[in-house]
Amino acid sequence: MSTESDTPLLDELEKGPFPSFVSEIKKAAAKNKMALDELKQLEKSYRDKRGYWKHGGIVGIRGYGSGIIGRHSSLPQEFPGVADFHTVRVNSVSGFFYTSDSLRQICDIWDRHGSGLLNMHGSTGDIILLGTSTEKLEPVFAEFSSRGWDLGGSGSSLRTPSCCIGPARCEWANIDTLDIIYNLTQEFQDEMHRPAFPYKFKIKAAGCAVDCIGAIARADCSIIGTWRGHIVVDQSAVAEYAKQGMDIQAEIVNLCPTGCMVYDGRELYINDEDCSRCMHCISRMTKALRPAGEKGATILIGSKAPFVIGATLSWVLVPFMKLEPPYDEFKALLKKIWEYWDEHGKNRERLGELVIRRGMREFLEFVGVKPSPQQVKEPRRDPFFYWKDEDFRRQ
Amino acid sequence: MDLPKRKTDIGPPNYRDFLPPVISKNYGDWKYHEVLSPGVMVHHAGSGEKIWTVRVASPRLLSTDTVRELADIADKYCGGYLRFTTRNNVEFLVSDEAMLCPLQLELNDKKYMIGGIGPRISNIVHTQGWVHCHSAATDASGLVKALMDEFADYFTTKELPNKVRLAVACCTNMCGAVHCSDIALVAIHRKAPKVNHDSVKNTCELPSTIAACPTGAISPDSSKKSVKINDDKCMYCGNCFTVCSCLEINNPDFDGVAIVAGGKVGSLRSDPKFSRLVVPFIKNNPPRWPEVVEAVSNILDAYAAGAKKHERVGEWIERIGWEKFFRITGLKFTYQHIDDFTIARETFRTSAAFKW
Amino acid sequence: MDKEELKKRIFELVEKSVGKKKLKSSDIQKIISADTGVARDYVKSALRNLVDDGTLIYTYFGGSFVEIPSKE
Repeated sequence: MSTESDTPLLDELEKGPFPSFVSEIKKAAAKNKMALDELKQLEKSYRDKRGYWKHGGIVGIRGYGSGIIGRHSSLPQEFPGVADFHTVRVNSVSGFFYTSDSLRQICDIWDRHGSGLLNMHGSTGDIILLGTSTEKLEPVFAEFSSRGWDLGGSGSSLRTPSCCIGPARCEWANIDTLDIIYNLTQEFQDEMHRPAFPYKFKIKAAGCAVDCIGAIARADCSIIGTWRGHIVVDQSAVAEYAKQGMDIQAEIVNLCPTGCMVYDGRELYINDEDCSRCMHCISRMTKALRPAGEKGATILIGSKAPFVIGATLSWVLVPFMKLEPPYDEFKALLKKIWEYWDEHGKNRERLGELVIRRGMREFLEFVGVKPSPQQVKEPRRDPFFYWKDEDFRRQ
Repeated sequence: MDLPKRKTDIGPPNYRDFLPPVISKNYGDWKYHEVLSPGVMVHHAGSGEKIWTVRVASPRLLSTDTVRELADIADKYCGGYLRFTTRNNVEFLVSDEAMLCPLQLELNDKKYMIGGIGPRISNIVHTQGWVHCHSAATDASGLVKALMDEFADYFTTKELPNKVRLAVACCTNMCGAVHCSDIALVAIHRKAPKVNHDSVKNTCELPSTIAACPTGAISPDSSKKSVKINDDKCMYCGNCFTVCSCLEINNPDFDGVAIVAGGKVGSLRSDPKFSRLVVPFIKNNPPRWPEVVEAVSNILDAYAAGAKKHERVGEWIERIGWEKFFRITGLKFTYQHIDDFTIARETFRTSAAFKW
Repeated sequence: MDKEELKKRIFELVEKSVGKKKLKSSDIQKIISADTGVARDYVKSALRNLVDDGTLIYTYFGGSFVEIPSKE
């Protein structure tokens, strides 16, 4: 009897301390033919140093234009189990909280109708069910939706919004990120499921500038919690940190980007007016320092990965907005943003690219936001710029 | 088997139904937290109540067997409550302190890696790769496994000056948004796409294909009712392939991995930063990409040795200067490192003050 | 305008575009609304009916479009 493995290259990736994705595929392959062919095709990719997948582009569930991404093996004769191997995106729970029963429910459905492989979660934050056939798509959707789950976004639609853990388990949350994201997701179901935008649109909400969800780098609209007010200092807790060995001068004061702090060896003083709320001191001395005052968020737009003009980080649109249910002011702004994009955006042009192409002024005027120094790192350098008749009237 | 009746536009389940009772009770009233060990932290609420979190690594790609095992563990020690982090770690949410020890014992017993909290390497954010993506120029999961095996100690025990966020994107589409990571790998192509004229004619829209090119390298080929590509202008980004799959850009002999470094998303101390190119190309060498692992180790070692406490990789490099970074890492500086795309002039050195 | 008539106009527009230009949902809404004077939301709801009953489908290669399903 031969003891030779069919997957010698992938077997190498079962060694070592970090949990192995190959072992996961093998576990699924032990009871699922699709997963077995996934494993075999992947071994071939490792041998040939190339992928063997084709993008679908057509399959979906009736009525929706998103949530399913068609995927086919480019070697269907060799790997019939993955001839069709479509992705199903299931909208995750705010903050990625689950109960054991809800996870089992997902597993039961996916074992019945799919490969038994999934990602918790994909980059955008969906539960990614990895691979099923075309005829299984409607059954998968019926099973999930009848139990309270819906599909996430894909294509030129609002993608599944996501957030950091926020007030559920973090002392720094200035806004209720979980509720905001749940509320927006419910409000904009049509925008998620029936793609009508020029391209994808991502919304991410972070409770503070630590930005554990990476909102500033990967959302067309980034919501980042902040406050207007001051930092409350508990001097006895400061003393406790010092006693435990923290070098407050070196680790806190000297690293403050605005130089707004003084430590006299006993007490810490903050000149709140000069603080930019970067979160360094608060995150290192969480027992001693707390934001206080009016809580809200900075609304930024435009970040995305490199296609087409190079990667962008989100930039400030509204320096401060109160965000409380039902979030009407934010929703009104979002609708104006989408209206502008609908009017001027080309196919596959992200919001940030459009605003860069046409200039901030037109955009600001359209969405009704006034110019402010908080929106820029620095004013323009060159002495040529546009004037409009209304600017002359204003003077 | 009869299927239940489908519903549309119901949205996701309400998160409130998934929170442990101690979180529901103290929602928005957390006062502070303490990191008790590399994989355990405790959050204190204003009420005096506490919740403990035990974090373990996951490979992101999971079998239903493993998800069920996670659910069973959560039932046993956490009243059934658990969550996932943005970086695909699993967090067991413990309300009863007495469960902390037995939970960790069982996790250790089952070979889960506990850690990832604090100034360490947490899980690597990554994309689908050859596992499931049509445009992958490398395999993301394999690279992640090889790197995390090497850096396992930095997840479970050892400390660094600050947290180090690693990421892997299997093509320049960058589903993983690796452009703001401390150290990231992005798979690249180095040869212009081959045009399959017959299929282009039948399946691709020419104007949108031409418009997809950021460098204007694609133009109409009217005699063939197809497009032609100016190889000299092409930067191999692959955006055209996303619009027209008949422009075959995969080329196993030339595809591989670039390394970028110095990015971050938080605003702490300094503004969020993009990652910048440090190694333009390393060939794909599956299953364990040893050259990539070595190059990343080299950067990480230099950072661990040179950075001050709390400095992220990008902050350290900016303090010492990129020229010194290339000197101490021994990484070769090439034509490819000098920007000739959309922001080139912002990146040239406009000062005679620099280090040797 | 009667909804059935509107649906007919939408379908004809998509049919006419086959092989020339793939239309996005927003293209259809803009064109039909401009041609007929009907409010965009009403066009959108007629389009939704057409997709719900499978007369038209969404496709997503290089952007999301509305197309006529192939007969296979």
